[in-house]
Amino acid sequence: MCGLAGVARRQPRGVATRMLRRMAEAIRHRGPDGSGVYADERVGLAHVRLSIIDLEGGAQPMANEEGSLRVVYNGEVFNFPTLREELESHGHRFRTRSDTEVLLHGYEEWGSGLPQRLNGQFAFAIYDRRTRSIFLARDRFGILPLFYALRDGDLYFASEIKALLASGEIAAALDPEGLDQVFTFWAALPPRTPFRGISTLEPGCCARWQGGRLAITRYYHVDFPEPAAEPSDALCRLDDLMRSAVGMRLLADVPVGGYLSGGLDSSAVCALASATSTEQLRTFSVAFDDPRFDESDHQRAAAGNAHSRHAVERISRSDIARVFPDVIRHAETPLLRTAPAPLYLLSRLTRRDGIKVVLTGEGADEVFLGYDLFKDTVVRLFCLRHPESRIRPRLFERLYPHEGAGARRGDFWAGYFLSSGSPGDPLFSHLPRFRPTCWIKDFYSPEFRHLLRDFDPLAELRAQLPANFAQWSPLGRAAYLELVTLLSPYLLASQGDRMAMAHGVETRVPFLDHRLFEFAAALPERSKLRGLREKDILRRWAPIALPRTVADRPKQAYRAPDVPPFVGPRPPEYAVELLQPASLRRTGIFDPQAVAGLLRRCQSGTATGTRESQALVGILSTQLWHHEFCERRSTAAPLPRASLRLTPKWEIA
Amino acid sequence: MNEITPLPEMEIVDRTRSWVRENFLYMRTDWKLGGDDPMLGSGVIDSVGVIELVEFLQRTFGIDIADEEITETNLDSLNAVGRFVHQKCNARSGAERRPRQVA
Repeated sequence: MCGLAGVARRQPRGVATRMLRRMAEAIRHRGPDGSGVYADERVGLAHVRLSIIDLEGGAQPMANEEGSLRVVYNGEVFNFPTLREELESHGHRFRTRSDTEVLLHGYEEWGSGLPQRLNGQFAFAIYDRRTRSIFLARDRFGILPLFYALRDGDLYFASEIKALLASGEIAAALDPEGLDQVFTFWAALPPRTPFRGISTLEPGCCARWQGGRLAITRYYHVDFPEPAAEPSDALCRLDDLMRSAVGMRLLADVPVGGYLSGGLDSSAVCALASATSTEQLRTFSVAFDDPRFDESDHQRAAAGNAHSRHAVERISRSDIARVFPDVIRHAETPLLRTAPAPLYLLSRLTRRDGIKVVLTGEGADEVFLGYDLFKDTVVRLFCLRHPESRIRPRLFERLYPHEGAGARRGDFWAGYFLSSGSPGDPLFSHLPRFRPTCWIKDFYSPEFRHLLRDFDPLAELRAQLPANFAQWSPLGRAAYLELVTLLSPYLLASQGDRMAMAHGVETRVPFLDHRLFEFAAALPERSKLRGLREKDILRRWAPIALPRTVADRPKQAYRAPDVPPFVGPRPPEYAVELLQPASLRRTGIFDPQAVAGLLRRCQSGTATGTRESQALVGILSTQLWHHEFCERRSTAAPLPRASLRLTPKWEIA
Repeated sequence: MNEITPLPEMEIVDRTRSWVRENFLYMRTDWKLGGDDPMLGSGVIDSVGVIELVEFLQRTFGIDIADEEITETNLDSLNAVGRFVHQKCNARSGAERRPRQVA
């Protein structure tokens, strides 16, 4: 993977190479192995390279033979050897061994139909001099990032927002609605970002800029058709797809390693990778000083099974506190959890150990219905069909057997789920997550609340659901919502690409091979969630690759300590500074008196629930984000935005 | 022997309201928490908050609350808490006034 950036002018007034170099330098961490720029009277392209395939021949920006097309590209197209053969059979002649060149010839051959032919993770921009147009595309699930902004018809695009800001022509300013989405879904939903006037290309979309206008097209639509029965050869097909998805993702001219969480998904991926690799696999894990979060024993077992050379990054609360500002700088968004921080440290370890490509188990919980949220949905529906039943709600206690006695049992516990929305609401599955998250909004200052007026992120999401959403089953709807609200904008972004690429490490995600996704989406739901057993078909397949103890291990959610890093006898100086009333008043988003109450409870040890831990991390990270991007960086004038209702207070001079 | 006088129901409600305001509504000082307003359904208290509430009631009013007593009927509003705690206190003081059995 790499980093890309570019500018396209509506009028032929040129693009300064020093500006392009500034943009490239801002994302140098994504591509420490090389860089290049191209500029003419209308378009400038910049690229920083992480060399993985064709180490000598893949430099970018890359032009076709006539120089009429130029591409900057971030990602990997895993089926490029097949596509190359097909293109060669159509008369295309290749000069390099890289997958980048396949994009150029593929665009010549298929035009905007190119992205549908790619199996991989990618974001790219192709400049077509003949039509004075820019073609942008992003992979189906948003594994790789691509941001853009339009200003007076000029297009700016880049792998990270900091490259757009480095142009000096795009300003950093808060988008209140983007922030309000973070405090609803954990992330702003594409195309929105927390930055005013800066958008992200939605996963599965491509766009064409021409004559100052940007037209966006969706080229990939997810679907959840449900057959009556599991195909008799389902396990064989799953085995083929798993081996193919992992095998394709081992394609590289550098060693490929793996991240091991200790759970089923990453263990299966690493076991298959190890079986296919000719050299000993390198694996990497995070371990925690706090035993509530630690999975070391399971990680060691999985590493032993994969016969890998295993390295561990042990994380303490002070480690999280130390790197959290860097985490926000790379994530470019406020966060509600500290969970990305250990992965930031893990990619540093991985890179220091000489590995720049790792496979991960990300995506399996979405594809095979692994999360508790899917079980909650089934049990809530079951209970609500007979609301008078006293027996049915006891199922909630079975869902969370480790939560202990007291309020997480009985009436209150069941009531929490059963009062979280009606089955007729399209967001039914996710309301038990969205509603408590929204509680952070109670900390908004009256002025910020006024800026948002009647903005309702839940209503907006309901209005933007795809046409066939209502035809899907409740679990199909839940899976879709999980993809668009959490996987793409948070797990693959803030916790995935951005933390790995902070240290120039590329993550590859076999479970998000679209063939595997489509296979799983078209299985009957009981093949994935059988009773309360999650990822059923994957667990039935897993003994082929894994010991029973790993294959049958119940899912453990990945978490990191949230409150402890920032409170206690010696809190980090930046936290003390940014949570002071004067800092909060300067930013203007949160009510200082309310935050003081939260800090009092955190410091006294009574803020033990998710709501308050999310509030603390959310408020602190927003303050860090605002300080890093809106107060320090930009000198350009803010961008106009039709839907925005801002007072000058939020604009940066 | 000192007679144990149960607290009036209203005092239980007032002390609980102060505690809820201080610990769960510190960020929403404008929130009007009425005696019959649901605390769980309205999001004032979440499931972890219920644990805190139970601990507060046990500590402040000297009662023991069993798992099966942690119900919406007993705890979902300030008035429900007042009735429930008042009954528990009454039951306790009644038990303590009862003459000891002599073997």
